[in-house]
Amino acid sequence: MTETAPETDTDGSTDRIDLTDRDTATPDYDDAFDAVVVGAGLAGSTAALTMADEGLDVLLVERGRYPGAKNVFGGVLYTPTLRQLVDVDAAPLERYIAERRFGMLSDEDETAVSISPGEWHDPPHNDSYTVLRGEFDEWLAEQAVEAGATLVTRTTVTGLLREGDRVVGIETDRPDGTIRAPYVVLAEGGNSLVSEGADLKEKDRRENVAVGVKEVLEFPEREHAIEDRFRLTGDAGVSYHYFGEGAVGDAFGGGFIYTNGDTVSVGLAYRLSDAATSQPDPEGTLNAFKTHPAVAPLLRGARTVEYTAKTIPEGGADEIPELVHDGAVIVGDAAGLVLNNGLHLEGTNMAVESGYHAANAVASAAQRGRTDADALAAYREDLESSFVVENLERYEWLIERVQADRELLFEELPRAVADAGSEYFRMDRAPKDQHASTAKRELLRAVGGYTGAAKLAVRYRKLLS
Amino acid sequence: MGDEPVIVVGVKQVPDDDEVRIDPDTGHLDRASAPAVMNPPDRNALEAALGLRDDAGGTVVAVTMGPPTATDVLEEAVAIGCDDAALITDRAFAGSDTWPTSLTLAAAAESLGADVFVCGEETTDSSTGQVPPGIAAHLGWAQLTYAEELDPEFDDETLVARRDVEGGHEVVAAELPVVVAVAYGEFEPRPAGLHRKLYAESEFEPIELSAEDIGLDDDEVGIDASPTEVGGMETVEPVERERVVVEGVDELADELAETEVFG
Amino acid sequence: MSPDDADGANDEPVDDGTVDTDAYSDVWVFVEEHDGDVMTVSWELLAEARGLADDLGEDLVALVIGEDVDDVAGEAIERGADRALVADDPVFEPYRADPYGEQFRALVEERRPAIVLIGGTHTGRDFAGRVAVPAHAGLTADCTELGVDDDGLLEARRPAFGGNVLATIVCADHRPQMATVRPGVFAAAAPDPDRAGAVEQVDVVVDEADTVTEVRERVVGDTADITEADRIVAAGGGCNGDLSPVEALADALDADLAASRKAVDEGWVDGSRQVGQTGKTVRPDLYVAVGISGAVQHVEGMNDSDVVVAINDDPNAPIFDHADYGIVGDLFEVCPALAERVRDGEALAGSEADIEPEAQR
Repeated sequence: MTETAPETDTDGSTDRIDLTDRDTATPDYDDAFDAVVVGAGLAGSTAALTMADEGLDVLLVERGRYPGAKNVFGGVLYTPTLRQLVDVDAAPLERYIAERRFGMLSDEDETAVSISPGEWHDPPHNDSYTVLRGEFDEWLAEQAVEAGATLVTRTTVTGLLREGDRVVGIETDRPDGTIRAPYVVLAEGGNSLVSEGADLKEKDRRENVAVGVKEVLEFPEREHAIEDRFRLTGDAGVSYHYFGEGAVGDAFGGGFIYTNGDTVSVGLAYRLSDAATSQPDPEGTLNAFKTHPAVAPLLRGARTVEYTAKTIPEGGADEIPELVHDGAVIVGDAAGLVLNNGLHLEGTNMAVESGYHAANAVASAAQRGRTDADALAAYREDLESSFVVENLERYEWLIERVQADRELLFEELPRAVADAGSEYFRMDRAPKDQHASTAKRELLRAVGGYTGAAKLAVRYRKLLS
Repeated sequence: MGDEPVIVVGVKQVPDDDEVRIDPDTGHLDRASAPAVMNPPDRNALEAALGLRDDAGGTVVAVTMGPPTATDVLEEAVAIGCDDAALITDRAFAGSDTWPTSLTLAAAAESLGADVFVCGEETTDSSTGQVPPGIAAHLGWAQLTYAEELDPEFDDETLVARRDVEGGHEVVAAELPVVVAVAYGEFEPRPAGLHRKLYAESEFEPIELSAEDIGLDDDEVGIDASPTEVGGMETVEPVERERVVVEGVDELADELAETEVFG
Repeated sequence: MSPDDADGANDEPVDDGTVDTDAYSDVWVFVEEHDGDVMTVSWELLAEARGLADDLGEDLVALVIGEDVDDVAGEAIERGADRALVADDPVFEPYRADPYGEQFRALVEERRPAIVLIGGTHTGRDFAGRVAVPAHAGLTADCTELGVDDDGLLEARRPAFGGNVLATIVCADHRPQMATVRPGVFAAAAPDPDRAGAVEQVDVVVDEADTVTEVRERVVGDTADITEADRIVAAGGGCNGDLSPVEALADALDADLAASRKAVDEGWVDGSRQVGQTGKTVRPDLYVAVGISGAVQHVEGMNDSDVVVAINDDPNAPIFDHADYGIVGDLFEVCPALAERVRDGEALAGSEADIEPEAQR
């Protein structure tokens, strides 16, 4: 071809760039890391960060495009332990919690208690913040990487490598996808297929798994909608909790609204057994909640920007699997460390706490050159003496109790309270005394008279103890 | 061609179209805030290059032109299986349109001793498709655009491609060296192996090349060597539509009957 | 390429590629033909470029490269060209970038056109990208509007940032000013048998022995031109590879099948039927988007349709913002139902439809 390209200078006179001296062969990373962490959520990143701080070489494996990409958690992060590990104030926090509100919803009514202590406005704000986990988890994983951990994303762990009973590494969905390491920290979340597949834990019994659905809503063309509707200034925010028929029908669970910076998170968490039998699809249940007369005005004009659903283990202390194995520990949601009793919906602080204690146990075992379960037992012991298991145990009875009484608590009582309330405050020409006694009568009827009320009080006394 | 073919594959970082949001104030796409990802058509190019190596041996070297942050896209290319990667980076390249861009990539191909230069069909951020033919023109090489299949006949110094010619295809044999632009969507990319990915992301460093390294003078590239310039931008008013959501096909048919579509 | 080539005839005065722009004149249109069949976009370009040439007071020149293409050159004159330049040789059939590029380079060097317009087909883009380099020409891709400013500079406009913005690209100091133009944007002019113009055979500078490519096989079947269609049913990613409902609907509506980029990339529909930024622009009376999300790049190619109907199971799909009528539902149910309803309806209103042919819209 005689084609000429007059202006170009690519005339072959430049020196050939020689790449032959470069060594770009693939190294073998088997046993190059001290520990592999499965899942870069709160528990996993906390574990990776803590182990890296302790001088271990850590590989953090995440299936999402980035940490947090797969996380649907809707809201409040409790930060007492995290504050010891990282600069929480530099984290992508949305708002601190200035008001917690508990609303009992019947079909049409709401009866609510609101708490907003003045001190929550002062740092460290009761260590309670709303976060968007997509952003926060990415940030926390970055802290682990800065501490020296290696993060690999878009990689799904599909199984564990075993030698006898001992866990010696992971299998992933990638080609050339196994990697050996002395310790594996399983922080894979509520859908713990790896731990179950490796027989490190039993499949969660259906009644002990909740389904969580969440939407993030924005208010287009409504400046200050969040501040105005939730009565907020500055970085203050709220967490509203709802239970009763109006939130999740006759299922066992509750609803929530959390305020983020420019959006609100709205969601439900309820028992999967209920979800599969008596409830319509989670999206439908959520829509019913969002249109409840007590909720709808808060969300008026909002537009959904994200919808997500996930499963949450919520068995309580009895359902915690064996946390410690030869060469492996289980942390966070995967370990069933979630508390959802209607009053508290807490998994995040437990996730952080378990990751932290597991990491310290691994670091200590590594120092002694041991990988057996006995050498890692400190994790279980530390966790048991921490607030995590204490809290779970403390509320164990409550979950059972509430489950047994759920018709009363979630349907009859809210309706009665609302009826009683409206009766008590009824504005007509009858005397106040008459309203009060009618209200009392209605309440008493719902709980089974004075005897019933006394029994209820006894049954739930521990709530206050 | 030397003993072993050298296959260079061009990749580029572009804003992630899936993450590009519309600025509610201006109605424009806000590309600046979108994360940078590998230009999707370049994934097909990578696979085509690696497929050639599978069939005919040799080495695959990824190249990109851009700032140091473009290293990410090279790490990804190495993770997927490229043997090496080069970052062509120089302030002199700033403001390059497709003419100096193709000159730069042509110079890099020559410096690296390429027998085949594989590109994606186009980049999703500028959508010109002009660079691959431009590289071929600068070098006086053959070009095979819209390639759907590749068959190396390297013993005969030939690469055969099946090309998509709208409405059909043709099979073209080109003498080496050659520039290939792979039809977008063909050559399903392979996943990165775990150990290679770990290496690429945690240890690999691309070779860095300046304009001078590949034999270019500063005034041959960049804005001064770019024939085109943006003369202006104007917002296009969106077309007004009825935006009626109907309940079913009967209602739709009734609505359509009101229009002139069915006479 | 050998060093000798690079030192070859270089009659440009400065090495940054800028030229004496006054030495360049006339508007050229590259007439893309395959075996004597001309791509419609070439006729569209002749019609549009006629106006540009008149504004500039210069000649409109049809550039015809191929084998036995005298008829093509003659039709180009009838469709608006003042003159035709014909490079006629077996080496030019079928199209190959290298001989076409070399012939074009030689012609530009000798004749110095100010503007060269090329259809944005696969062949046109392959050709334009190659020939712009040796000329150090400014080349703008996939334009949708063309104009000349007061100084006679070509203003090539193309959608940017996904179509909400029209960017005007100019080329002040380099010649020729080149642009590829998206098919379907401009209307082709009907041939006028009374038009006359010179058809000049130019020297063929390419020898088969010098070519570096060989076309071993060429199979062209589906040469549908959706830019001419009055009704279009377009398939998108929602079809999941099963086009039968879309085809049934197209059949019932007597419409042409088109597709989004996704459906083309997946191989469900041929690329010649792609609508959008990197496909074609269509302007039918009725455009039915089935399972198409409505990315701006797609919408841009169908926004001039008279009536747009969208069928999608995602109520939040952007396509509904660009449609006159939308149905939220499963396309595998909606399409057959709509097809049936249309057949019933047309059977009833059949005579009426015959009376008012849609061509009179």
